[in-house]
Amino acid sequence: MNEKDQNFDRLKRLLKLKQQEVPPPGYFNHFSSDVIARIRAGEAGGNQAFAGRAQTGASWFAGFMGFFETRPGLVGGFATSLCLLLVFGVFFAERSEQASDNMLMIPGTSALPAASAVALNSSTLASAALPASVPTGIVASTNPVTSLQPVATLFGQPGASPLFQPASFAPATQ
Amino acid sequence: MIMSETAPIAGAGSPTGVLEGDLVRRARDGDLKAYDDLVKRYQERIYATVYHMTSNHEDANDIAQEAFIKAYQALKSFKGGSSFYTWLYRIAVNKTINFLKQRKNKHHFSLNDLDFNTENNPDLVALISDRTPFRDAGLTELQKKLNEALMRLSEPHRMVVVLHDVQGQSHDEIAEIMGCNIGTVRSRLFYARQQLQGYLAEYVKTS
Repeated sequence: MNEKDQNFDRLKRLLKLKQQEVPPPGYFNHFSSDVIARIRAGEAGGNQAFAGRAQTGASWFAGFMGFFETRPGLVGGFATSLCLLLVFGVFFAERSEQASDNMLMIPGTSALPAASAVALNSSTLASAALPASVPTGIVASTNPVTSLQPVATLFGQPGASPLFQPASFAPATQ
Repeated sequence: MIMSETAPIAGAGSPTGVLEGDLVRRARDGDLKAYDDLVKRYQERIYATVYHMTSNHEDANDIAQEAFIKAYQALKSFKGGSSFYTWLYRIAVNKTINFLKQRKNKHHFSLNDLDFNTENNPDLVALISDRTPFRDAGLTELQKKLNEALMRLSEPHRMVVVLHDVQGQSHDEIAEIMGCNIGTVRSRLFYARQQLQGYLAEYVKTS
C-alpha cells in the first residue's frame, strides 16, 4: 500500500489545493443565525398551520391530504381498501338480488330466469299445483310487476277479451 | 479515531469548553442557544465537505443549512450510538448525494476565487516549482482542471477523496459516515485516486 501511496503523492499535493477554496472572510458570521431562524420559522409555521386548521375547521380535507402527503405508503393502502370495498359491494349486491329472486320460485320447479319470474301473476300462482305443505302467502319481490290483479272482462262477458272483439266477414244481408 | 460524544471538540470559530454531549442534550430539550453553539462548532467543516462535492458555494450553503435543520428535527431520534459529529456528517453526506443525483443532468459548477493566501501555501509553492505543466498553468486553470476531474468521479468515490485527501478524515470515520466497512473505503479511495491520476495525467506526471 505504501508503494501505491507514493505513486499518489503528487496527486495528494494537488488535492490539497482544494483546501484553499474557502468562502470570503465573514461568510459564516450569519450562518448559524440563519439556521436557527429557519428552524424557528419552521416551528412557528407548523404551529400557525395547526392553529388555523383548528379554528376554521373548514380545511379538514387539506389536513387529510397532508396526512397522506407525508406518508406515501398509506396512499396505496387507502386506494386498495377502497377498491376492495367496491368489489365486495358489487358482489353482495348481486347475491342479495339473486336471493330475492329465489323467493319467487316454487319449490320443486327449476329456476326461472328473472324475466319469466316477473311474468308470474296471481292467476298463474293460483293455477299452479301447489303442495299442501307450501304456504300460500304474499309473495314479495323487488322486481316490478305490472299487475297482480286479474284483468276485468269486457262488459262483464266471461271469455271476452278486453282488447279484441270477434269480427265477422260474412256479407251483410239486406 | 472516532470522537466520543462527550469529548470537547474545538472547531474553528466555535465556543470551546462545553461538552458536545451536554449541548446535544440541551438542544434535544429545545434549547436553540445550545444548538446554535453546535452549528458554530461544525459549520465550516460541514460546509467545506458539501462545497468540495458540489463545487458551488450557493448550493453548499443551502445543503449545509438544510443538513443542520434536518439534524435538529431528527435530534430526538439520535441515540448517541456514534458521535453527534459523525451523525451530522452522515446527514450532510446523504443530503449532498441526493442533491447531486437530482442535479446529474444539469452538470455545472461555478469556479469560486481561491483564497488570497493560496500563493503562499507551501504545497502549492513546491508544486509549481517542479518541472511540470503546473509552472505554466495559472491557479484558476489548475482549480478548473481539478474540479472537472473530481466531478467526473461517481459520488461515493468523490466523497471518499474529499473526506480523506481534502478534509483529512480517517478511514474509520469515513466508514462510519458513509455506512460501509473500512475495506470498501480503502478500495474506493484507491480507485478514485487512480481515476484522478488518469484525468490529471499531464499535471501529475513526474519529469
